[in-house]
Amino acid sequence: MIRLENVSYTYYDKISALSDVTLEINKGDKVAIIGANGSGKSTLLQIMAGLKYPVAGRFLFEETGVSEESLRDKGFLRFFRENVGYVFQDSDIQLFCPTVLDELLYGPLQLEINEEEAMNRAFELMKMLNIEHLKARPSYMLSGGEKKKVAIGSVLAMNPQILLLDEPTDGLDPKTQCFLVELMLALNESGKTLVIATHDLSLVDELQATVGVLSEEHRLEKIGSADDILRDTDLLLKVNLIHEHVHLHGKTKHTHLHSHYLFHRHSS
Amino acid sequence: MPNKIPSFLLDPSPPGSFKLGRRKVNIPFIDGGINHLTSVIKKGYVQWELSSENGLFQKIDARIKVLFLLFFVIIVSLKRGLLPELYIGVFVFVLVLLSRLRIVTFYSRVLLLGFFLGFLVALPSAFNVITSGETIGPVVRISRPLNFWIYHIPADIGITREGIYGVTRLTLRVVNSLSLSFLVLYTTPFPEIVRALKVLKVPDTFLIIITLCYKYIFIFSKTVEDMYLAKKSRMAREVSNTEAREWIAGRIGFIFRKTRLRCEDVFKAMIGRGFSDTIKLYGFRKMRTSDWYAGTFLLFIGVLFLLI
Repeated sequence: MIRLENVSYTYYDKISALSDVTLEINKGDKVAIIGANGSGKSTLLQIMAGLKYPVAGRFLFEETGVSEESLRDKGFLRFFRENVGYVFQDSDIQLFCPTVLDELLYGPLQLEINEEEAMNRAFELMKMLNIEHLKARPSYMLSGGEKKKVAIGSVLAMNPQILLLDEPTDGLDPKTQCFLVELMLALNESGKTLVIATHDLSLVDELQATVGVLSEEHRLEKIGSADDILRDTDLLLKVNLIHEHVHLHGKTKHTHLHSHYLFHRHSS
Repeated sequence: MPNKIPSFLLDPSPPGSFKLGRRKVNIPFIDGGINHLTSVIKKGYVQWELSSENGLFQKIDARIKVLFLLFFVIIVSLKRGLLPELYIGVFVFVLVLLSRLRIVTFYSRVLLLGFFLGFLVALPSAFNVITSGETIGPVVRISRPLNFWIYHIPADIGITREGIYGVTRLTLRVVNSLSLSFLVLYTTPFPEIVRALKVLKVPDTFLIIITLCYKYIFIFSKTVEDMYLAKKSRMAREVSNTEAREWIAGRIGFIFRKTRLRCEDVFKAMIGRGFSDTIKLYGFRKMRTSDWYAGTFLLFIGVLFLLI
């Protein structure tokens, strides 16, 4: 479905964000791209969403090269946007319609789905996301969790087959995080392809996704199952996803490897 | 959870198909313009932030550079001949070369702004309607001369030699002033410029305003670009210019609200870190001998230009 061949990207012709990344994602896959801050996760997702274009290498969707030129083709633009949905890390940016209901209707109306069907989709989604009471509210009057729900709803309303989610659980309370994990698993079970960018190792474990690890040099260091990657402490140390941690237990000082979820093992 | 998922999302239908054809999406002028504007602002900002440390001008103290800029802009405004303006232009070009700035990018910006702010603004004065003199390029002939208020419109309207001279002089002045300003801006980190202005007794309120504006320009262009990408990610068809204008009108309101909220947050953060009403800056490094040499050399060149 998605193929990246030796993709590189630089910002302002100076700052490297991705270097020689090759990756293939098939229908129904559940993929997590993990890496430290600034490793290029968001850039990679934005390339897969056809929002940025590689400065080197190729990005193919259903064997068609995705470029500024190909996305100017009416047929391909519709086909691509119908199938690929992207949820931004910053929901504030993503929500640009006057109210929550307008937000949910925007995508389906772009796809020229009739108004009745678009309304049905919007209300079904609001029910699923428990945001029915917010339908007339403007986005700037929503909490962080509500904004995230609306942002996800606005993309789901287009019913894309591939969902790209940038740091989906970032800054959310535990209850909303649980809700999102359940939602992502359910969507994947229903056949949707999920690609998530995150540095939250607990999310990777919960989703049991195929994991691609981006290094701080912006290279794809390794691809493997969640178990394989999460057990590879050398790799996680190298890419700065776990670190040496010192703390006290009573009067005993411990030093050990630590991530904020997985590695909190004591040798004594 | 699966029970709550709407049926349309569970539809396992395979993705549709498409044919690459000749039907192209026209990108509205406003969309393209916004995208281009934000990228220009961001590129400029980053180029400034990352200004190389190895060039000639980057090594000179910011105070010397600010004084150089003021002195030379005055000289540029005082010179009445074309040749001295050209000499100053060549001198700035040499400084740009020695400072290892990207010549093409640098002069494309200078010349573009110079064209609009200098040439186009001054162009009407090339005609004998405004500047009288020897007509060297007749344009229009009217039946009889007209007198209107303080203006005299001759029967033969055309471009005069004196007018062309005036337009060229003004364009050169604008280009020289712009290249001097860009030279200093591109070779000096922004905080150093602000500190240099503080030394020149520029009021604190003004410094606060330009510091905040400087940061906000970048945040603003990033916000606009992100919003454009958010729209693009859900844009599956061609958008008319009317729709694009409507979207932009809505976004202006959004940015206004966001700006107000950010302004309040920034002010709270400043208050929270002990801001009263004055900017307190840590001391400048001591001027080095090389700074004095550079200052003296620039002063000497400036006086030379004044004399020719």
